[in-house]
Amino acid sequence: MSSRDPLWFCHECHTEMTPLMMPDPICANCQGSFVEKMEDPNDDPRQFQRPVHRAYEDEYPSGMDNFLHGLHGFLGIRQGPAGRGSSSAQRSSAASRSSGGAPARGGFRFELNGGPSAGQRAFILGGPNTLGRPSEQVNHNVLPMSEFLRPRDDLGQPHNGSDITGPLMAQYLMAMLGHGPSMRGPDPFGELFNLGSTEGGDGGGRWGDYVFNQEALDHIISQLMENSNSGRPVPATDEIIEKLPKELLEDKSPLLEKDCAVCKETFKLETEDPDDQVVVSLPCKHPFHQGCILPWLKSSGTCPVCRYALIAQPQYHGSAASPGPASGGSSNNRPQSPPSNNPSRSRSSGSRREGSIGSDLSNTVFGGGGSSPSRVDRNSRSNRRSSGPTSRSPPFFPGGWHE
Amino acid sequence: MASISSRRLRKELTEITTQGCPVGIKLLNADNFETWLFSIEVLGETLYQGEVFKLMFRFDSQYPISSPAVQFVVDNEFQAPIHPHVYSNGHICASILGNEWSPVLSVSAVCVTLQSMLASCKVKERPQGNDQYVRYAPDNPKKTRFHYDGKHHRV
Repeated sequence: MSSRDPLWFCHECHTEMTPLMMPDPICANCQGSFVEKMEDPNDDPRQFQRPVHRAYEDEYPSGMDNFLHGLHGFLGIRQGPAGRGSSSAQRSSAASRSSGGAPARGGFRFELNGGPSAGQRAFILGGPNTLGRPSEQVNHNVLPMSEFLRPRDDLGQPHNGSDITGPLMAQYLMAMLGHGPSMRGPDPFGELFNLGSTEGGDGGGRWGDYVFNQEALDHIISQLMENSNSGRPVPATDEIIEKLPKELLEDKSPLLEKDCAVCKETFKLETEDPDDQVVVSLPCKHPFHQGCILPWLKSSGTCPVCRYALIAQPQYHGSAASPGPASGGSSNNRPQSPPSNNPSRSRSSGSRREGSIGSDLSNTVFGGGGSSPSRVDRNSRSNRRSSGPTSRSPPFFPGGWHE
Repeated sequence: MASISSRRLRKELTEITTQGCPVGIKLLNADNFETWLFSIEVLGETLYQGEVFKLMFRFDSQYPISSPAVQFVVDNEFQAPIHPHVYSNGHICASILGNEWSPVLSVSAVCVTLQSMLASCKVKERPQGNDQYVRYAPDNPKKTRFHYDGKHHRV
């Protein structure tokens, strides 16, 4: 996970996510446009949460008091572990409200029974960091419960007690509901019950690191997958490119009968541009015009014909982290052997009449190529490879997405 | 000097006009080197028997280094095929149009591949999350970051 793209922070639903680009970044969770990339640790957008919430301290809806007090007792927040017998709330683990200011490792869990759509919902407040955020960031977490419950006075000193006041709880719930204080609904309790509904309100069952239903969990998992196996092709390094054998076409060169697979032109001696007589052969022996192959190698270090990898390419399912330089790759990531060693898996596609699409490539097109065994295979009816990388090289996606 | 992209497209176009398109594919329009339109149908016994679709290719100046943007046209006359890889706005989730594009592929190779994708379809259904995707989809499908996993089958 070390080299994944930075996450973005949505100021509207307070989620950390990888935004959708279309072409402006919008929140993957709530589709809001007020999103910010978290690149500068000194300017962490999540820090904005606290002031914002304080500003609304007095603006919770009338009628909240009763609800909050009820909930307060319901959660058994001050009563120490193991709750009060009759309460259905329980502390799921040591919800340590550590004195050092670190977020609680455990969390509160409470369950609501008999919502309108029936069934039971479990809510987990606080709890361990589930998004695998680097540990040094955890202290700037989005409002873990324990942190939130420790209001500070104007001097920044933590209050002595651990009173959870009505307004505080209101803020927390509002934030949890994913509406932000300015968009709160008239009936917070109703909202609470509606969280899990499939109509998928703005909250989408998710707030920050916390999820409320299976759908939201799936959402997070697929985001994680996208982040971890960003299967963009790895460009060949200049060093690799420089070492490729170049050949100036000469009379009677065997190359003269062949085509460059990129421009589909035959290699010729008489060309307007003398550069068109420089032929680069990849280690797999496939020849190309220098001017044709170099731009490709700079976006993907593979042979266009057989996908021989000049540099370690990400495996499908991103066999974990980043594809390193060829020398550092894991054994999985070594350049694959030239295609002549591939078992013949080409699928006959009768109507293909374009001879230049070699069977080598059709192997890959139809999924015969070097993919790793599937790890996520939720729906494998007709797919030969069940999972894969997400995108390719930079020109394909708008800015801000890449390094 | 003509760009690599237009040289290559001119060559492809010449081949298409002189040798004809693959079976079931017809060139509708290729007036420039930016957008080409084809009609595509799947012959034989498939779920799409008798249906005709319209394919749009959009090329940028980096073609064939960068893949063409390919989608089914949805308008008054045409609909996108109902297929687990094809969103109702015509966007196609196919790895060869994304991270498995290779400059060796060509317009007619893409057509044939898509034909084959349709021909092998077992169940006519939209991809998971179609409505959500379509609601926020960019105009150009290349801006979508498809991930070709179990949900979006690899083509």
